[in-house]
Amino acid sequence: MRIVVCVKEVLDPDAVNSFAVAGRLAIGDDGKSITQSAIPRLMNGFDEQALEAALRLRDAGASASIAVVSIGSDPSNILRHAWALGADQIAHVPADPATLDGHASAAILAAWIRSTGGADLVLCGRQASDDDQGVVPALIGERLGMPVVTIARAVSLVGSDTVRVTRVTPDGDEGVEVSLPAVVTVSNEIGTPRYPTAARKLQARRARPEVATTVAIGLAAAELAPRIHLVRQLVPSVHGRCELLDGGPAAAAKALVERLARDGAL
Amino acid sequence: MSTVWVCSWGAGALARGVEETLSFGRRLATAAGAELGLLVLGATPPGAAELAGRYGAATLDAVPDPKLAPGRPDALVEALAQACRARAPRALLFPQSVEVRLVAPRLAGRLGAAVVMNAIDATVEGGKLRVTAAAYGGDTHAVYEVVGDGPAILGVSTMALRAEPVATPGTPAVQELSLELSPVEERIRTVEPAKAEGPRLEDAAVIVAGGRGLGAREHFALVEQLAAALGGMAGASRPLVDEGWVDASRQVGLTGRITRPALYVAVGISGASQHMAGCAAAKTIVAINKDPDAAIFKHARYGIVGDCHEIVPELIRAARERRAELEKES
Ligand SMILES: Cc1cc2nc3c(=O)[nH]c(=O)nc-3n(C[C@H](O)[C@H](O)[C@H](O)COP(=O)(O)OP(=O)(O)OC[C@H]3O[C@@H](n4cnc5c(N)ncnc54)[C@H](O)[C@@H]3O)c2cc1C
Ligand SMILES: Nc1ncnc2c1ncn2[C@@H]1O[C@H](COP(=O)(O)O)[C@@H](O)[C@H]1O
Repeated sequence: MRIVVCVKEVLDPDAVNSFAVAGRLAIGDDGKSITQSAIPRLMNGFDEQALEAALRLRDAGASASIAVVSIGSDPSNILRHAWALGADQIAHVPADPATLDGHASAAILAAWIRSTGGADLVLCGRQASDDDQGVVPALIGERLGMPVVTIARAVSLVGSDTVRVTRVTPDGDEGVEVSLPAVVTVSNEIGTPRYPTAARKLQARRARPEVATTVAIGLAAAELAPRIHLVRQLVPSVHGRCELLDGGPAAAAKALVERLARDGAL
Repeated sequence: MSTVWVCSWGAGALARGVEETLSFGRRLATAAGAELGLLVLGATPPGAAELAGRYGAATLDAVPDPKLAPGRPDALVEALAQACRARAPRALLFPQSVEVRLVAPRLAGRLGAAVVMNAIDATVEGGKLRVTAAAYGGDTHAVYEVVGDGPAILGVSTMALRAEPVATPGTPAVQELSLELSPVEERIRTVEPAKAEGPRLEDAAVIVAGGRGLGAREHFALVEQLAAALGGMAGASRPLVDEGWVDASRQVGLTGRITRPALYVAVGISGASQHMAGCAAAKTIVAINKDPDAAIFKHARYGIVGDCHEIVPELIRAARERRAELEKES
């Protein structure tokens, strides 16, 4: 079977958080993009977990080829990481992320999948940590006519044509089955992704992602037209009015309970 | 006149957050010169028309097909697509939930329509729809412009919003939409249903949540004891779930539970945007953290700077004493 994992390069969300807390998250002159060049770029965390889910399927005995694809300006570092972990194929579709919306991204990913032999299972992250939208997997599913199962904490095969997914839902874990081909989105509950071995990491330096242009995968310009575009990004201010209570643990605790009682919060 | 539709389905009830979404929708409808409507999929719960009127909806469209229920995404997407083709609404608003995060973008794919999730505001500028959505967990707000005039599909972050009834409630015109759903078969088979156990964090009036600052799994007991002493529930930040210290159902945040308690006590939690996305709407936030510069203090009403292992036991004692006093009085 062929598993395709879609991975996106994002700004390190922890670094973005740190800059935000320090009040140093700045938007550039274009009014849209975060400017700090000090923020590293890495693979979206949930996408690492989607790749981990693919590798676990193979560990469990599935004879699967794993293809990893990324759209972006230059995601070769994250693709090499995927190769080091055991991806059989790594592919880059060049496009300026600023010109893409979820529809355009899904159009590209669906066309890439179609033009490279299709997929039995498409694994995505539940959402990208930059835009937090979580729409691309559903849009891929609609384009390829595949069912979409969201927020997996475990993925396994039942026979050769069915996948079983444990989903994290607001009512607890739910077990579902779906016939392949299908799209599954993976969440952090699947657990910490593995690291590549030192030897594979070294070899991966020489791995070159295949480059597939949108033209080569058969997309017309009209199919890349976004339905939404970013006009502005801003950093909201948080107005603190925190009263700090001190005088040592016991006094502070007492003062807190008194205030909460006074405010009617207890 | 075009319509801004708020969509709801549920098990015998309207969706959570439908009031906030109607209020959001009314502002948008006013800006767009459109009419506000409520679209109810599945049996219409009692009181739906009255609620719709209270929040300014002029119409209530109902699709009382038994196939339309939670856990039936294929039927829901198909029904919504047919309803949109029949009525051509300007915008479709969904009170965001885990299921909406699947159904809304699939619908957008089916219709080729614009889609934005995590919306906190929407307006019309120069005839174009502009939607503000939280990004980077809320570290930034992204403003998107919708291209074209097909329906815009928005997932609304209702916890960030207030429900605002109109001054004079109206009576919506109730209509049934008849759709053809008989060919739809769900492709996803539930083999082990989720069994909701006990109370949900989303409903808790008081939450005490622990974070990485607790230092060790066994210290989560402090959080549970303080929650019990305050008559609330225990929650957690994501690292505790990732470490396997607590169950995923405890996770508060962007990708966990979105809560709105009266009181939220954060113990050893830094206050990352993705965590705050699940608790910032709490009426009162209390922070206990050893780092005076932690982000959580920007959100908190009260704070204690110090070691949670020293402070929380004192808080448990103070809270228990207060309870005992109250019980004596009554
Ligand atoms: C896409 C995405 C989605 C996410 N979704 C969620 C989500 O839903 N929920 C969530 O919680 N996180 C989520 N996160 C993770 C989030 O970004 C933070 O990493 C996380 O919330 C940090 O948890 P924490 O505050 O417990 O740990 P830390 O950030 O490590 O903070 C620990 C805090 O404890 C304090 N501390 C240490 N020792 C003590 C002590 N003895 N006494 C008192 N205080 C002490 C420290 O000063 C520090 O402030 C998400 C991240 C991403 C990228
Ligand atoms: N540029 C991209 N390249 C590859 N995969 C992507 C890209 N954008 C989104 N995806 C996939 O779709 C998921 C959800 O993304 P989003 O809808 O942007 O939140 C991600 O976790 C990826 O698996």
